[in-house]
Amino acid sequence: MIRLTDRAWSPYLTGALIGLLQVPAFLLLGTALGASSSYVTVSASIAEVFDPAIRSLAYAGKYLDGAKNWWQVALVGGIALGAFLSASLSGTRRSGVSPVWTRALGTSNPTFRFALAFVGGFLLLFGARLADGCTSGHGISGIAQLAVSGFLAVGAMFAGGIATAMMLRAVR
Amino acid sequence: MSVLVAMAAGLLMGVAFGFLLEKSRVFEPGVIVGQMQLRNFLMLRIFLASVASGLIVLALGTLTGIIPKLDPKAVLYGAQLLGGFVAGIGIALAGACPGTVLAQVGVGYRDARLTLLGGLAGALTFAYLEPAIRPVLLTGSPGKLTLHGLLGVPFWPLALGFAAVLIGALYALERWRPWRAELGDNAAGVLPPAAPARALPAEAEPAAR
Repeated sequence: MIRLTDRAWSPYLTGALIGLLQVPAFLLLGTALGASSSYVTVSASIAEVFDPAIRSLAYAGKYLDGAKNWWQVALVGGIALGAFLSASLSGTRRSGVSPVWTRALGTSNPTFRFALAFVGGFLLLFGARLADGCTSGHGISGIAQLAVSGFLAVGAMFAGGIATAMMLRAVR
Repeated sequence: MSVLVAMAAGLLMGVAFGFLLEKSRVFEPGVIVGQMQLRNFLMLRIFLASVASGLIVLALGTLTGIIPKLDPKAVLYGAQLLGGFVAGIGIALAGACPGTVLAQVGVGYRDARLTLLGGLAGALTFAYLEPAIRPVLLTGSPGKLTLHGLLGVPFWPLALGFAAVLIGALYALERWRPWRAELGDNAAGVLPPAAPARALPAEAEPAAR
């Protein structure tokens, strides 16, 4: 029996339900789940206030408008709200940083962690945009469509992630 | 579809997605870094389960015609290998993916706000550099290649067969180590040391006093 107040649900159940979200994505938008292009839509929309010429860039320009782009921005925003609701129901809201960082980094200095988080986020989205997708777009969605691009990008993501994480301190 | 209707649909789907990411614990930095150190396999379980379920619903959807066509991304060998590798470095350092970082922000992790800002900066930097990167890495795509296309078979039988393989792999993973053993204290995915700390010198044991 699963309850909304449970701290954790089976990864098989939650994973399967996440996969089912492909149905409304394809029926309503004709596309699969993704997250990383919304970062271009949001950042380029902010940048346009200071630099209207960004609209003339072929790449940035195609992410500024349209139902698909803003659907994904709302999807990603909804993730924060859904996670907040779930954590509130189960009493797993967090403050500060995860205890894993003291182990992985060998320090509990928050400034160091914040700086590393910014650098990590930068590489995460720079790399994802270069690859044209992230763990959602290439991973969950690309492999579920048997796309060669998904297998390539996910293999490279795990290679980069494992190579880097192995240089951190062991987390257990 | 109007932008506002699309955003309403996106918000509802996002709330469901975020709720499931939180309940699955895959958004926890402890789970993500643990997976990349091959010490915690919750992330792989959720990932493979979502791929298997996606394969099945897309196979049934295309077979029945409810989903008229798939939307695979084009292959760009250099961009996907290099970009994927750089994104992987980011996953390990941020302890997050582009979607899960929002779940981290939602539950209250402070560093995730910096990850989000870094992500916006990284995406914008790419957008400005794209004209220079395009001739080097973003041209010469062989197209939207798919496994079924390369093999010359319909999508659905290959998708269902691959889903069956993934379900078998998940069954083996659960037999090897039950998923609940990977939740850790407070469901943060941080597990106790795998082996007793025998390497510690005896005088370092405070319990002896």
